[in-house]
Amino acid sequence: MPASRSSSKRAVWAILRKECRSEWRTRYGLNAALLFAVTSLAAVSFAVGRMSDRPDVLAALLWVVLLFAALASLAHTFVRETEGHTMVLMRLVASPTAIALGKLLFNLLFLISIEAVTVPLFLILMGAPPPRWGPLLAVLGLGSLALGAGSTVVAAIIAQTRGRGALFAGVSFPVLLPILAAAVSGTRAQWTGAPVGAELRLLAAYAVALLAVSLLLYDHLWEDA
Amino acid sequence: MIARTLLLVWIAGWIVAAFLWAPLVPVLGETTRVLYFHIPAAWVTVLALAWSMIHSLLYLKRRNLEHDHHAAAAAEIGLLFCVVATVSGAMWAKAMWGAYWNWDPRETSIFFLLLIYVAYLALRSAIDQPERRARLAAVYSAMAFVSVPFLIFVVPRIYFSLHPDPLINPRGKVDMDPRIRVVFFALLAGFTMLFFWVQSLRVRVARVEHRLEERRGSAHER
Repeated sequence: MPASRSSSKRAVWAILRKECRSEWRTRYGLNAALLFAVTSLAAVSFAVGRMSDRPDVLAALLWVVLLFAALASLAHTFVRETEGHTMVLMRLVASPTAIALGKLLFNLLFLISIEAVTVPLFLILMGAPPPRWGPLLAVLGLGSLALGAGSTVVAAIIAQTRGRGALFAGVSFPVLLPILAAAVSGTRAQWTGAPVGAELRLLAAYAVALLAVSLLLYDHLWEDA
Repeated sequence: MIARTLLLVWIAGWIVAAFLWAPLVPVLGETTRVLYFHIPAAWVTVLALAWSMIHSLLYLKRRNLEHDHHAAAAAEIGLLFCVVATVSGAMWAKAMWGAYWNWDPRETSIFFLLLIYVAYLALRSAIDQPERRARLAAVYSAMAFVSVPFLIFVVPRIYFSLHPDPLINPRGKVDMDPRIRVVFFALLAGFTMLFFWVQSLRVRVARVEHRLEERRGSAHER
């Protein structure tokens, strides 16, 4: 049915635009995440100093900073709907899958904008050796895709519970840890000159599996929300 | 009653055999014995997580709270066995590698499984209504299970591991001393049956708890 598919594509696009617009109006999510990223980066950099000869430590620190910044704000796309009681209206106009995809795309944009600021700053402040841009960008891209896919579902679950903010980090960690481990090891390999193919394949497979499972499960998430 | 007694006698008997009858593997020495408890516990961990995931999917399909009782019970028992596997592995690592923990790929996997169970139970504790709790926990469980094939089958094959499958099991198939093999598989079967027994007990408790909850709810309404 081409008609319904195009309308669903349009719904995804409309939700993405709506997310961007409502984020842009207040910008508190983005501001909080950037502030978080820069502050934790400053703390890390101040604590350990320049580390040009330790790519293993650098890779771990880079992803810890990125994950902290992202986790502080990724949940709020859904929490905003629950708190504003707009979820019901949203479900009237779009299918669960369209809502999920729209929010996932927004979360990806969000992650990319955090990375665009944090990664260059990290490279300068920590005195990192020059990266191989191709593998680094591939690891960052696939890592963000997997992180986004995992955290969007968990955010949708958490938005319907008590104690939302506190629970999100704890509950999403088990889903995100394998991604983090592969991303750290890929980033380290990129600095040491080792091949990153295994990590990229792992990240891609994990991202695809998470996306497939979450798209199948989204229908069950909004029934009495 | 008879089945339960037989199971306990079976496990106790094979534990005695593990210490008195089964030989030791040359390099591992006395630490060979951990094999009979550590691997079955790790196996039950994976079995329980799979059991929990299957019942979660069944719940999403049929909306019968009975499946939710099964999923939650399996997660609790799986957590227990996961702790047993982690602790016995750490003790073995201290004896053989000199440190309790060094982020070997297998240690990493079991630690992540531990976190998955804890997060599942934490999520359940944050939701009051039984139906919503069952639904959200089921979605989470199904999604968390995505990482299991990666943790168990992919990661230990990509990264270098010190884990001793090569010593006990050199050609990738079951190729141990016959006595070790007999005790090992007997205890593996024993642990598996132990899991299903404790699981049925826990599900029965969950049923009673649910009935009490409902009765209390209807008393409030009156």
